[in-house]
Amino acid sequence: MRKLRLASYWASACGGCDVAILDTNEHILDIAAVADIVFWPVAVDFKYSDVEAYDDRSIDVCLFHGAVRNSENEHLARLLRQKSEVLVAFGSCAVSGGIPALANFKRREDILNRVYRESPSTENPESVLPQPHFTAGDITLDLPDFYRRVYALDDIVPVDYYLPGCPPTPERIWEVFEVIVSGQLPPAGSTVGVADHSLCHECSRVKKEKKVKTFYRPHEIIPDRENCLLEQGLICLGPVTRGGCGARCIAANMACRGCYGPMPGIIDQGAKFISTLGSIIDEDRVEDAGAVIDRIVDPAGTFFRFSMAKSLLKGARQP
Amino acid sequence: MKRVTIDPITRLEGHGKIEIFLNDDGSVEDVYFQIPELRGFEKFVEGRPIEEVPRIVTRICGV
Repeated sequence: MRKLRLASYWASACGGCDVAILDTNEHILDIAAVADIVFWPVAVDFKYSDVEAYDDRSIDVCLFHGAVRNSENEHLARLLRQKSEVLVAFGSCAVSGGIPALANFKRREDILNRVYRESPSTENPESVLPQPHFTAGDITLDLPDFYRRVYALDDIVPVDYYLPGCPPTPERIWEVFEVIVSGQLPPAGSTVGVADHSLCHECSRVKKEKKVKTFYRPHEIIPDRENCLLEQGLICLGPVTRGGCGARCIAANMACRGCYGPMPGIIDQGAKFISTLGSIIDEDRVEDAGAVIDRIVDPAGTFFRFSMAKSLLKGARQP
Repeated sequence: MKRVTIDPITRLEGHGKIEIFLNDDGSVEDVYFQIPELRGFEKFVEGRPIEEVPRIVTRICGV
């Protein structure tokens, strides 16, 4: 059998998805047995010019990590779409913006000012900001355009499969590889490496009536390990989040952070959690319910922690 | 002037690009190291509860 041609790329990402692939441990040898790596910046020294020289659709599978934050990310998204038969949005950033999309709550100019002018560790006496084009004599250098907000991969190009998680767990990654190698691909557009039930479904904690009198921050409570964390007053995104991760955070006595994205059929994970709150807060009077909500320090950043780029809000209003 | 572009720099976390300019006798005239990426953690951690910060900044580099 012909070996698969496999690419893995990071756009606006941290590299954690690449490490998660390596965390399949000895299975990486199984992957190497059936696939040739043709592009993988974290591990192998191919250049962008190599990818540009490949025939269109000659990469069998491209695992694309990271969000689209700047024009270079967009260029690579379009290039890899053109060169790949199957394009996978791999990890929360590519699927829905992930942590980088928390920047969508801020304005572009405020980000640039903070990073390059105001940060205490920055020395920038001429107060310059990165320029897309820089000329010195007869030399011109180019930097990518920093976009006004962060986009998910499918905002830019069509995506064949989605594999969420920050990062996806190695077990799920290996299962997806097995499916790819088998050639029995699911319908295009599928979310893979996930369960169709909520995280609550695979959480073994005792769940009673969801009624919450107050919310706690982590330093205010040591939650017990038997009962539902949400019922104990911790913001747990389990009810609106897909399972499939194996509830690892829950096992570490930490509430679900929502990285596996919304349940099937939910278009806005954060908005759905707001709806959840409406049904679990155990107060009859509006003011009392409001006081409970006020205990949540950063509702938007918490409920849309990994999904801001795909939320209905998209980001802050900018001039 | 001859231009040698190394793009991307590989086998490290993050994005980097090096442009080397050679003069007519082939020696290096100028080198530019560019970081073509920015996410802006310095700004978007502002306003977040402090307990979130260690769980956000771990996504600066996951390697």
